[in-house]
Amino acid sequence: MTPTHPDLGSQLINLCSMMLLLTTFAIVAQRRLSACVDLFAFQSLFLAVTAALVAWFTDSPHIYIAALLTIGIKTAAIPMILRRVIERVNVKREVEFIINIPPSLLICGALVILAFSVTEPIAKLGFLLTRDSLAIALAIVLIGFFMMISRKKAITQIVGFLMMENGLFLGATASAYGMPLIVELGVFFDVLVAALIIGVYTHRLQETFDSVDTTKLTGLKE
Amino acid sequence: MHTALLILIAAPFVAGLASLAVRTRPAMERLQLAHAVVLWAAMAAVVAGVVMGGDGDSAVSVGPLLRADRLSAFMDLMLAFVGGTALCYAVGYMGEELSRGHLTFPRYRRFFVYFNLFLFAMVLAVNLDNIALMWIAVEGSTISAALSVGFDRTKAALEAGWKYIILNFVGIALALFGTVLIYYTSEHVLGVTMEALSWTALHRVASHTTNGLNPVVLKMAFIFVMMGYGTKAGAAPMHTWLPDAHAEAPTPVSAMLSGLMLNLGLYAVLRLKSIVDPAVGQSFAGSIMLGLGLLSMAIAATFMLIQRDYKRLLGYSSIEHMGIMLIGFGVGGPLGLFGGFFHMLNHALAKSAAFYAAGMTLLRHGHKMIERVTGLARQAPAAGSGLFLAAIALAGLPPFGLFISEVLIATAAYRYHQGIAYLFLALLALAFATLVAPLSRMTLGAPVQSEAGSESLTVTSGPDRLMTMALGINLAALSLIGLLVPVISLDWLLPISALLEAKAGLP
Repeated sequence: MTPTHPDLGSQLINLCSMMLLLTTFAIVAQRRLSACVDLFAFQSLFLAVTAALVAWFTDSPHIYIAALLTIGIKTAAIPMILRRVIERVNVKREVEFIINIPPSLLICGALVILAFSVTEPIAKLGFLLTRDSLAIALAIVLIGFFMMISRKKAITQIVGFLMMENGLFLGATASAYGMPLIVELGVFFDVLVAALIIGVYTHRLQETFDSVDTTKLTGLKE
Repeated sequence: MHTALLILIAAPFVAGLASLAVRTRPAMERLQLAHAVVLWAAMAAVVAGVVMGGDGDSAVSVGPLLRADRLSAFMDLMLAFVGGTALCYAVGYMGEELSRGHLTFPRYRRFFVYFNLFLFAMVLAVNLDNIALMWIAVEGSTISAALSVGFDRTKAALEAGWKYIILNFVGIALALFGTVLIYYTSEHVLGVTMEALSWTALHRVASHTTNGLNPVVLKMAFIFVMMGYGTKAGAAPMHTWLPDAHAEAPTPVSAMLSGLMLNLGLYAVLRLKSIVDPAVGQSFAGSIMLGLGLLSMAIAATFMLIQRDYKRLLGYSSIEHMGIMLIGFGVGGPLGLFGGFFHMLNHALAKSAAFYAAGMTLLRHGHKMIERVTGLARQAPAAGSGLFLAAIALAGLPPFGLFISEVLIATAAYRYHQGIAYLFLALLALAFATLVAPLSRMTLGAPVQSEAGSESLTVTSGPDRLMTMALGINLAALSLIGLLVPVISLDWLLPISALLEAKAGLP
């Protein structure tokens, strides 16, 4: 379990984690729904590369399986489901905002700073290889959360949820050398089923309300 | 005992798969009732195995992953008992819906598949000796419940289902982050293995003073887990999904959500608390729980005042009771913990009974408006008296056990801090009034037939008998437990409190 090339390894993994964070910002700044989904697939690809790098530099072969699953499920299967949902509900293909893009980006910047300052006292505990990854992971989780509450359409909320999952996976892989395989398999299965179910619900929302704008869900209140 | 544990976990899963192949209604009824009987028998065997095991640390385990200690056995008792009566009730309720033509047979069948998988995920979650696998099972229960909440395809049900999904998926993601953080610190002590996620191993490590689990990481993990599983437990301010979901889900599902799923969230928080406490001191996790508990009680008791939908009213009452339990567990000590567990058990029975009665009322009247239901006890004696009894139990009147647990929690709170105890009692009084007033208006008094549209629908006798039976069993168990406190407490609940407490390293 000793890192063979600590310098090169940590540099590469940090680079990849940063790319993940960058795609997160790109998704927040995106106006087209389909582009959001494409960028999510792209982000998942970076996640898979990060996982593969961790596996290589720490000699933990089970993380390769997690990387392959990420490619299969998060860059292929889930984006395909989402594209089909977008096609089927045939909505205007644009993201609708509660908070517009420029202030959104500022808030996300603040969330990144928050994530780094919160994890600062515990970052030194991590294995030397990947010191910043936990902060980046938390930043992605927070931005995903923000995306869920600041966008109107059901599909963008799904993308927000999936970004949170990507952040979690980065946290588990890069800062804790991956969870045991059985745990990761279970998490993947759950995420896939969750995405399917949200897809089904989105479709039903469109059928029943003639819209996937979730701010129109105001029937139930006091 | 080992096979009993396996049967207990496998039964709902097998029944769910078998439901897929069922072609007729009588076959489905037989399958589900048999399922309930198997659940009860297996549960009795597991519980006997754990309690007869002797000392407080006795447990039934299968392989490295499945382990039922006293706390798990307590959860098993609740899940299997209420799950069994809920199955019996669901057979009646959905059967009535089917014969009225409200749903087609394939959808009737699908309901039972979701319902059984929901139960399976919960039973699995409490018996897994692994913090991350437990997360997976809890997520499984969230997903299967999501399908059940939006089962009626009305606008309101869809909206409730959507809110449920979004809030709970976010919550469960935060809980996973907390779980990753636990692993982040425990892998230094226990190595990069499955062991680093095992509750037993974590307990063992946590009880040493210089255990190497990092206190800052544990604090952060607890906050994330509390937010995450707290959402599932319906604690304020993450409770907003709960009233909608309880009002719009099919009634058997509302009973399971309130009686069982909320407790699952608390179970996860409690397990983690006993690991966090030794490293960071008892007051950290305790005061967070206490604060959330008081907030939940205050919000629920106030909002109950303006409810016009009786299922929604019961949903808010669940938030209030979760608040009471959070206060009990947050204050801690033998009194607080015992009060919390006793409250959990009694609330599970009383609230599911209340929902059973509410569902019977809904079938008779076809609406959920409080003001348009009167004199229920005379019109429909079973549903009416059941609802009234459940209401006074939930309000905390003797001879029911909720009275005892509330007194215990108030005492524990008084020892902790006088002001909190007074606030607790004031909120209890408010909740008492806001719950009992509308429910007694519905059940007592003379039936008024004012509007032409308000005449009642008749429920077919077969389903009616099953639903009454489920309600009766729950109420009987509730009264029995209220009277048998000393027996239960000595043999079982006190050792659980001791289990959590000893691990928490208290004097």
